[in-house]
Amino acid sequence: MANQSGNAYALALLCPVRAGAPPAGFDGQCQESYAAHLRYVLQSVRVSGDSPMARVPNTYLSRFFLLDDVFYQGSPALEEHLKSSYLVFCCNFHGELEPYLTGMWKTIESEVRLILNHCVGFSDQTVRDAAAFIAYIKKCEIKTTFYFNGSTDQPLAEQLKGLYLKQEFSKFAFENQGRSAREIQEAFGEFIKGTEPENTARPAWKPGVYDLDKVVAK
Amino acid sequence: MNVITPLKWLTTLRTRLIFWGAGKLPSTTLGLVTLSLIHYARWVILRPKDFPHLGPEQPKEDLQYCYMLFFSNFNGSWDQYVDSFSSTIPTGLDSFWYKNIKYTNSIPMLPFHRYITWNQIWTDNYYNAYPMASTNDVKSAQKVRQNLIDFARSTANATPDDFQRQYNKLLLSLQHDLSQMGLNPVVSLSASAVDRRLGKERRGVS
Amino acid sequence: MTTAADDFLDLSDIQGIVVKAYSRFGFPVARYVLFRIDLPAHGRKFVVGITPMITTGVRWTDPASIPSAATNIAFTYKGLKHLDVLDASLHGFSDEFSMGMKARRDIVGDTGPNHPRHWDPVWHNESETGQHVHILVTIDGKGETEVEARYRQILALLVECPGVVQLSGQRGGGSDDLPYQPAAAIPPKPEEAGFPGGKEHFGYSDGISTTFFKGCGADPMEVIGEDKPVKGDPRTLEGWAPVAAGELIFGYPDEAFEYPEAPGPPLFSRNGTYLVYRKLHENTGSFESYLEAEGARFPGGKEALAAKFAGRWRNGAPLATFPTQESADRYIAELSALQLKVWAGQASPAEQARYQELALQLVALDYGDDKDGARCPFGAHTRRVNPRSALRFGNKKAFADDPGALSNRRRVLRRGLPYGRSETPARDDGDHGIVIMIVNADLSRQFEFVQQQWITFGNDFKLANDQDPLPGNHGTSKNCRAGGRMII
Repeated sequence: MANQSGNAYALALLCPVRAGAPPAGFDGQCQESYAAHLRYVLQSVRVSGDSPMARVPNTYLSRFFLLDDVFYQGSPALEEHLKSSYLVFCCNFHGELEPYLTGMWKTIESEVRLILNHCVGFSDQTVRDAAAFIAYIKKCEIKTTFYFNGSTDQPLAEQLKGLYLKQEFSKFAFENQGRSAREIQEAFGEFIKGTEPENTARPAWKPGVYDLDKVVAK
Repeated sequence: MNVITPLKWLTTLRTRLIFWGAGKLPSTTLGLVTLSLIHYARWVILRPKDFPHLGPEQPKEDLQYCYMLFFSNFNGSWDQYVDSFSSTIPTGLDSFWYKNIKYTNSIPMLPFHRYITWNQIWTDNYYNAYPMASTNDVKSAQKVRQNLIDFARSTANATPDDFQRQYNKLLLSLQHDLSQMGLNPVVSLSASAVDRRLGKERRGVS
Repeated sequence: MTTAADDFLDLSDIQGIVVKAYSRFGFPVARYVLFRIDLPAHGRKFVVGITPMITTGVRWTDPASIPSAATNIAFTYKGLKHLDVLDASLHGFSDEFSMGMKARRDIVGDTGPNHPRHWDPVWHNESETGQHVHILVTIDGKGETEVEARYRQILALLVECPGVVQLSGQRGGGSDDLPYQPAAAIPPKPEEAGFPGGKEHFGYSDGISTTFFKGCGADPMEVIGEDKPVKGDPRTLEGWAPVAAGELIFGYPDEAFEYPEAPGPPLFSRNGTYLVYRKLHENTGSFESYLEAEGARFPGGKEALAAKFAGRWRNGAPLATFPTQESADRYIAELSALQLKVWAGQASPAEQARYQELALQLVALDYGDDKDGARCPFGAHTRRVNPRSALRFGNKKAFADDPGALSNRRRVLRRGLPYGRSETPARDDGDHGIVIMIVNADLSRQFEFVQQQWITFGNDFKLANDQDPLPGNHGTSKNCRAGGRMII
């Protein structure tokens, strides 16, 4: 199985969504099925830099969607249907599975609960801690058959530091065209002091931010 | 992008073999690597028994087909880049979707485009840690950082002339890595509608 | 290798503007005229009336067969609707066409200073859905007199069809209300007098390369460097093959071995295509002063800098083949002198052969020997809009040995001419620029893709958000906040 490519991990989950509708009163909604409500929740989760996933360490990319059914391909293909809806969570991250999930539980437990409470076998009672969360995820994990990594497998902080440096050094190179050796050398000294290339923590790009004015964490 | 397509159990054996071979032979994905549009992509073959079953309250699935799930993260939109995929790696696509039910082959392109679009599931919530960066940018950023660290070390005590010489060498080796990033172009009308609705908060990758 | 002998195209049913770059046939003057249809019956009568004047793609075999002026016609979606074309046919058009370019402005990057509100007045006074420009008629001719005569002939048709109205409101010559858009080639400098192609206002030789497609009827030698690269030496016929006709014309197979999507019934769309009309103002003042200032500290000077922008020296020589100004100048001087002899019928066989050899060098290149962009930068205009084999990045085996795998489906035909006059000294606010017409069978896959991904973005060339240095949108809009940038 190919869940890993170097240090990059491809996690995919199929979490069966509870059948039917919650009893009246669930989060102030009633009569709406668990699946429909879950979709509403997923679409309401903040995106970009405000996404809860931006707080989960080492997340490159992730997505949630609901698989309500499989597609019929038309005659003479067989017509068949799923008996449950599935929450699909698909994530690419750096590192090993358990530390990653522990990081997720530590940072966004409440958001995870908000979502997974719609799924079979997950509730405040059945999943009380990180270990139970990891056990649950492993039950839902599907193994990747072929994983293509067209990017890098560095820790996220290194990727974000690199992007920050690429952007800043590009500006530096443009601004210092045609200056004297001494001037460039001095400016470069300041540049290194200000950008700290070896310090991955900061300054660097913030995860998830889609705005040049807000992307740098100083 | 998410795609789910049915295939027969016997077919999956051959498909697994193809994927296994592709994992062993880097030349299989040379086209994808050169295309350099995809951050990460994956193919998952699900047999009926692979659908997680978590308890008696969940009805058991009763499926005849196996299903192949495909997930990819690429820059631009599917509509824009379907031609790039189908014209650069047609045999790769055809062997990965080999004998999926009603798979059309990637050339001619229009039936392939319709096949993928038909079997596509729209993402409800997407997150990208660097929505302003393409995979080219992430790869070149790694190079820029390493070069800068090495350069700063090796020129720490250089004379201005020596510094200049090495600086010029640095720029030469980074000449394809110094373009600046920013917001993505508006790749479709739906993207432009989303743009307007969300104001500055935007989408990242397909 | 393929020759142009496959004459399956119905050239007599395809408009001349599609098949021929008129400027190559001695038509340096043009007028572009717009009409609105108020009464469908009159609209149809006008079309019937103008049909005999329409120039087809039939090959001009000798100078005597070349008319004094050429007329071609195109319709907007609303125009076809006002001709009472059946809804069933109209619904077969693509969104890009039925919506019109204004509504697609975010996609093609017409924002900031390029926003439709800054377009010529003729495009105003209409809502996004209520296009009132219905018909475009193009007149190309040997001179002002011939064009004027044809223009009068066309306007005479309106007497019988008062339900068709000529639209004024084109900007030029100090007016905001010209009745038509005039355009004319800018003659080459004296030392390039024999150069095949005119100038545009930034001083570049233009119209050098055009897409050679299957069945287009041109000289088969023109296939070299003007179509799709295939395995083989790019300096010879072995390195090139014609682009499939379906990339440019409805009703024929395209590069994906299928018919392009087109409205039905086939009789309605066959031999037709999509034509994009764009009028691009050129800020010649800013361009010249930038070249002066930056060229002063650029090795090679301002001409070398201008060459890096375009991928060609301003005299037309391709940078990838002629990396120094001296080699470029020498090449163009020899080519130009031989061309004059050839035109005058005074070239000896040896000179003819030498001429052929030199003319090929204008276009016979595929960037295979410049894969790092040391000569022609990745971001240079001509390398962007027609990357030839460049998108393999030197990785020969990448796409099943098909060097054009990433470019063959993005090819277009470019027509049109410069408009206005370049002032001395150059200034931005004058009336000068270029009218470009892009012909392709799929607006989204070809024109919009090139305009968006290749001109106003850079990722396909590993250039992040950098734009095309010439037609890119370098305004102050938020998408290109840092202004123009280019790595050379």
